[in-house]
Amino acid sequence: MIATRSSLDAAYDNVVRTFGNVLFAVLLFLVWGVFTIIGVVVDQGKDASAYFSAYPAPIARALIRLGFDNIYHSPWYVGIIGLILLSLAVCTFKRVIPARLPPLRPVKIDKIPLNASVSVRGDEAGVRAKVEAFFRNRGWHIRNREFDGVEWGFADKHNWARRGVLIAHLGFVIIAAGTTIYWAKGFSGDAAILTGQTAEIPQTHAIFHLDSFRYTIAPIATKSGMVYQPIDYVSHVTVTGKSGVPKNYTVRVNHPINVDGTLYYQSSYGFGMRFLVTHDGKRVPALSDRTLKEGDTIDIPGTQSTIEYTRFVPTVDRVSGQPSADPRVNDPATVLNLFVGGSSAGAALVPLHSAIDLGRGWQITPNRYVLYSGFQYRYDPGIPLVGIGALVLVAGLIISFYFLPARLYVRVEAEAHAQTCTVGLAATTVKGYDIFETQFRELIAEFTSSMEPPGPSAHFSPAEAY
Amino acid sequence: MGSHISVDELMMIVALACYTLGALALLMFFFTREDWLRNLGAPLAIAGCVTQFAQLIVRYELTHIWPLLNLYGSLSLFSAMSVAIFIGFAIRYKLWFAGGFVLAMAAIFLAYGVTWNEGTMPAVPSLQSYWAKVHVPIVVSSYAAFLVAFVFSCIYLVKYYAERHYSSRPAGPLVAAGTPANFAGAHASVSYSGTEQAKITRDTPAIAAAAAMGNPTATWLTSLPTLAQLDIVVYRAIAIGLPLISIGIITGAAWAKEAWGAYWQWDPKETAALATWIVYLAYMHLHTRNNWRGLRTNWVSILGFATAIFCYLGVNIWISGLHSYKM
Ligand code: HEM
Repeated sequence: MIATRSSLDAAYDNVVRTFGNVLFAVLLFLVWGVFTIIGVVVDQGKDASAYFSAYPAPIARALIRLGFDNIYHSPWYVGIIGLILLSLAVCTFKRVIPARLPPLRPVKIDKIPLNASVSVRGDEAGVRAKVEAFFRNRGWHIRNREFDGVEWGFADKHNWARRGVLIAHLGFVIIAAGTTIYWAKGFSGDAAILTGQTAEIPQTHAIFHLDSFRYTIAPIATKSGMVYQPIDYVSHVTVTGKSGVPKNYTVRVNHPINVDGTLYYQSSYGFGMRFLVTHDGKRVPALSDRTLKEGDTIDIPGTQSTIEYTRFVPTVDRVSGQPSADPRVNDPATVLNLFVGGSSAGAALVPLHSAIDLGRGWQITPNRYVLYSGFQYRYDPGIPLVGIGALVLVAGLIISFYFLPARLYVRVEAEAHAQTCTVGLAATTVKGYDIFETQFRELIAEFTSSMEPPGPSAHFSPAEAY
Repeated sequence: MGSHISVDELMMIVALACYTLGALALLMFFFTREDWLRNLGAPLAIAGCVTQFAQLIVRYELTHIWPLLNLYGSLSLFSAMSVAIFIGFAIRYKLWFAGGFVLAMAAIFLAYGVTWNEGTMPAVPSLQSYWAKVHVPIVVSSYAAFLVAFVFSCIYLVKYYAERHYSSRPAGPLVAAGTPANFAGAHASVSYSGTEQAKITRDTPAIAAAAAMGNPTATWLTSLPTLAQLDIVVYRAIAIGLPLISIGIITGAAWAKEAWGAYWQWDPKETAALATWIVYLAYMHLHTRNNWRGLRTNWVSILGFATAIFCYLGVNIWISGLHSYKM
């Protein structure tokens, strides 16, 4: 029993030692960085086939099997972030708190690189009072303690700011908690709705009807040629939420709408297309009454042929007869792909209202385009926490960087014969000695000159810190 | 057709000229320490910086389009902020000697930015947001602070490796001739009273020794601040940049939430900004450790600047994503 306990203790000690090491934390961050770079380099969230066409088969297989196609949600990724948080927690309790909040204790003054001793005329109590008054007037917080019969003074500046690191770390943990809430309870998705049609959002059961969609694109002559700059995308929708009452909304980029706590965003748009399909000159209603989105297909009955509505071309260049860069609808056309028996038999650029012959009496005519609007939606109950965490984190950073906590150790010793005391002073900060050296010298110079009668000048030790 | 130059373009040329001349003067000052060169370079730096900010305001007044939404405008702000932050440091901590490097980099980034000037362009819908007005200046200012840190890290490393060089070499001919007393004498004559000279002797003894023996390069090196001082300057610059980039990432996330629906989508810009943030965060953490502070943290600062520039320009130019607004 005892043996297991102590081996458990040893394992615990090992974990604490490893995770309490800042270099280990940096290493974890490096590993995280490598995963993240993979996530940037490898396209995320594609179909398996996309990876097989982009990479040699063994690599593609490995990418998929390791979850690198969706790396930010892979167990590796979540795991490494968990380890980073663990390391942060252990460091905070084992290193930051002890290092940042040191107890009041006596020191060997001349062993601290920033030290000085000043002779001051007067008896011990008087000098002590003068010293205290000097520092108190300059905003130092004074505390006195007795150790083994020796009285020590401790003067602290910005002592509260010693908690800045803790605050920064806490902010990071709060952000992590906020993102976990989304991971556990949030959802997101997208919906493309044709003008005049209705769609139900699966998770929220809100019903969206797209009344109209409008876009504005401005042609702008720049130094490197004509640029078609999008200026505005606007959807007018009627939404029926939990209340059951339909309501009108306007959705624009940067102006999402909030329906029952879920946010809906304007994210894309496109052109649906109605085709007139005829067989032996007669309209075929079943095929002609559909509105296709880009990528949708029509199977021609009784044949091996499939027509894909591949892409909408807003403007065909009149001179070249090719698609132009102008995204505004002037002379529209469609790109249609014909598949016979599943393999491509060629593509054609078909202007609106021109028929193409598919053989065996079948004809197809792109007839009318209908705009659709793409929405993204997202429910993220973690956002308030993430926001609070971000503020806490920034506050912690600013406290840590702009308020330097410094502590002076002060010892007043009466000289045996004369009516004089030696005041020993040493300074420490949370960021080493160099950063405080100038201030320390100025402080001591001021101190020396303010202790009357102007005694012998201060003796500085060589700051061995360098 | 005569070429037609608008007011804002003219101001841009003035700023570029100020930076170029100022860079030359201050670079010469760096090497010669002739005071008149600093007295020439410093006002040029200030004049160029003021002109640049004025230029941005004029451009906004003329076009009513927030001028920072393309590389032309943001690089212009980047160089202006770099010079501004540097001027602050130079005045506060007497660091004009490094100004030539900052001005030269500002001039190069600015000149590169000018090649992206496409004239007046309204913003695309996703950029039409008040967040653009806070997010872009904050992020660009953080890069500017990192540029200043980068310059001082480079100077730190030059001095550090020079010290190593002098300390690994058998000390000069005087010592070799058997007169170490000279050396000791030079050393002892320095009083440990906190003067600059004493600090340099403590900080880089080999350089001080070589300088005492009349080595001109070493003598020049002693005119630089001590390693400890340079290290603190770098720390202070990063202490400006790191909170700024943190706020920049946060405002970017808030904006993304409004424009795209999710505050974080791992788009290359976001990821690169996070990487930059982490490198500088690593700097801050390592800087708390005695055996990392100095040589290694200054290398981290240089790595950080490389990451920041990749995040700023590399992502815009090489990687397409939600953030590549370069058209
Ligand atoms: C795995 C993650 C982390 C670990 C293990 C860690 C650990 C530490 C430790 C041990 C210190 C104190 C060093 C000392 O006083 O000797 C420290 C300081 C600090 N940490 Fe972290 N930390 C982590 C992440 C973060 C994050 C994400 C932030 C961002 C807000 C942060 C901000 C700070 C700041 C501002 C300081 C003070 C630096 C200074 O005083 O110059 N840390 N950290």
